[in-house]
Amino acid sequence: MFSIPVFLQSFEPLFWAARYTLLISGLGIALGLVIGTLVCAARLSPYAPLRGFAAIWVSFLRGVPLLVQLLVFYYTLPVIGIDVPAIFAAVVTVGICASAYISEIWRGAIAALPRGQAEAAVAIGMTPRDTWTRVILPQAFTMSLPALVNELILLVKASSLVSVVGILELTRASQAQAATTFRPLEVYLAAACIYLAINLCLAALGRYLEHRTAV
Amino acid sequence: MEWSILEQYGPALLRGFGVTVLCWILGTIFGMALGLMIALIQRYGPRWLGWIIQAYIEVIRGTPFLVQLFVLYYGGPLIGLRLDALPAGLLGLTIYGSPYFAEIFRSGFRAVPHGQIEAARAIGMAEPTIVRRVLLPLGLVSSLPALVNFSIILTKETVILSIITVPELMYQVSRMSTETFRYLEANLVLALFFWALVETISRVGRRLETRITKHLIERT
Amino acid sequence: MQASAVDIRKVNKYYGPFHALKDVDLAIPPGKVTCLIGPSGSGKSTLLRCINFLEEYDSGEIRIDGQLIGYEVPGRKMSGRKLRQMRRSIGMVFQQFNLWPHMTAKENVAEGLIRVRGLSKSEAETRAAEALTKVGLADKMGNHPARLSGGQQQRVAIARAIAMEPRLMLFDEPTSALDPELVGEVLNVMKALASEGMTMVVVTHEMGFAAHVADQVAFMEKGELVAVDSPQGIFHAPKDERIWNFLRTYHERNSF
Repeated sequence: MFSIPVFLQSFEPLFWAARYTLLISGLGIALGLVIGTLVCAARLSPYAPLRGFAAIWVSFLRGVPLLVQLLVFYYTLPVIGIDVPAIFAAVVTVGICASAYISEIWRGAIAALPRGQAEAAVAIGMTPRDTWTRVILPQAFTMSLPALVNELILLVKASSLVSVVGILELTRASQAQAATTFRPLEVYLAAACIYLAINLCLAALGRYLEHRTAV
Repeated sequence: MEWSILEQYGPALLRGFGVTVLCWILGTIFGMALGLMIALIQRYGPRWLGWIIQAYIEVIRGTPFLVQLFVLYYGGPLIGLRLDALPAGLLGLTIYGSPYFAEIFRSGFRAVPHGQIEAARAIGMAEPTIVRRVLLPLGLVSSLPALVNFSIILTKETVILSIITVPELMYQVSRMSTETFRYLEANLVLALFFWALVETISRVGRRLETRITKHLIERT
Repeated sequence: MQASAVDIRKVNKYYGPFHALKDVDLAIPPGKVTCLIGPSGSGKSTLLRCINFLEEYDSGEIRIDGQLIGYEVPGRKMSGRKLRQMRRSIGMVFQQFNLWPHMTAKENVAEGLIRVRGLSKSEAETRAAEALTKVGLADKMGNHPARLSGGQQQRVAIARAIAMEPRLMLFDEPTSALDPELVGEVLNVMKALASEGMTMVVVTHEMGFAAHVADQVAFMEKGELVAVDSPQGIFHAPKDERIWNFLRTYHERNSF
């Protein structure tokens, strides 16, 4: 039987673990933004080898399940002699995976800008650098904000997979608690509620940004 | 990797691949069916039902697939829902995919110009006939690229089923790697395998799209 | 006879196999208004965009005040730096305005002064305010483009160009994207600019403007420059049948 008191009691210890979920997805998106921007720059560069490398990067990371990426990365580190905490490996994997999607978000936003925007800058004699930093990128950034928030929601959900390498985030903590209390239904539902609350907040933020940029 | 390992684990890997493909195909078909039902109810059903469905969509889209599987597989028995790993996994995939499929169908239906439906009404077609003969065929075609896309995402999600011990490919690979201690190689090969699989599916999907939509593109 | 502000000689342009400009010769006199007219797809916008090298021409020469644009010598492209230097003194106004939506009207005008002319922010803003006042938008300086009507947006775009103090202004169908009731305000700003002695090249479908404001009118069709004449000559005594046909269709469409 489903017990409401057990369900309510499950929340408290999970809140603590949820901070790691937020930490991993937050750092993951930050890293993803940095790498994704570089990958996008490579994809748009005039040098064919760079473009090719970026295309393969994006195709591989979007083609391989995150869980498999996670294990590959997790098992590669010791082999190449890097001894870091599992949480570091988790953040890096999540960030690298996100970089592929973020690069595509940038690319889409830049491609969606009307050609005339850059032409107007070029026509008054702006340098390519100013054209990018003053005209193209600020607009592409505002345009992609809702998509980036969406990517963050995906990462919050995807971060549940790092539980398989033993990181005590929300999912792993609920597994542990379910094992000790023998009440998996209540515990997992409580975990689901916390995920849902986080993501509903983020979705509201996304809608707000979309509304603000639409004006 | 030595050949003897492949010889030893080959059959299990093949079985695992079979289960992966099975999960992917059935998950896509069931998920699409449920999604289509949801989209139709949202369009034609009573408003209160629409709200309930909207809540269902938010919950499924707001929670990780893995946690959904845990609720279903480990929590299910407490309310009398006792399923083996494979059926639980399939049910999980179906539920997980349904809101995304529903959203795809919904925007596909929105893309059907209202004039098309008015034209059908104008010649006296009944609503169910309009759905069957006009809305569905046109809506499905415009949903096709997104359907293929999401079906590819589902291919990748099937590996998560290994965590609740569904004996699909990743499960077999993990078993093999714990017994042989070849963790890195095994997972690397698995990664390359999925990369090839996803690239192939998306290529086939694109070809399918151009073939199906060919007659709809106006000649200029 | 004064030297031309723009001298176009034997210019050819191809898009793949499509011959977009065919041996075009045209001299733009300084301080005068030249209108380019002709059916759509005749190459008039392409020709205009070749003048500031937004579009690369394949052969021939275009000289701005005697200096070849786009090429160091025929066949060898000039450096980006030198090209930017030349573009500074050529203002351009686009059909779609192309205002930057993330900047206010004033910032749109000041941006080029700061980034290209190297003025200080305060100096640039003073000049931007002057330019916006000149086009009658003193009260809209803080507005973003989305909060302006099409006519107001196009006037901001003109202010953005004239603030750079160009010697030559190019207009690419400046009123074609506007609702009919907003066309007048933009044409009035252009007329005022013409009366100050600005050298202007205007691609337009506004035959009234071409007839009354232009000093010379060039008619193009299918990539060819068919005739260059006074407005009087083009509109009242067309020497070529193609001009006559074009004007007849134009009149039929605009009479009721």
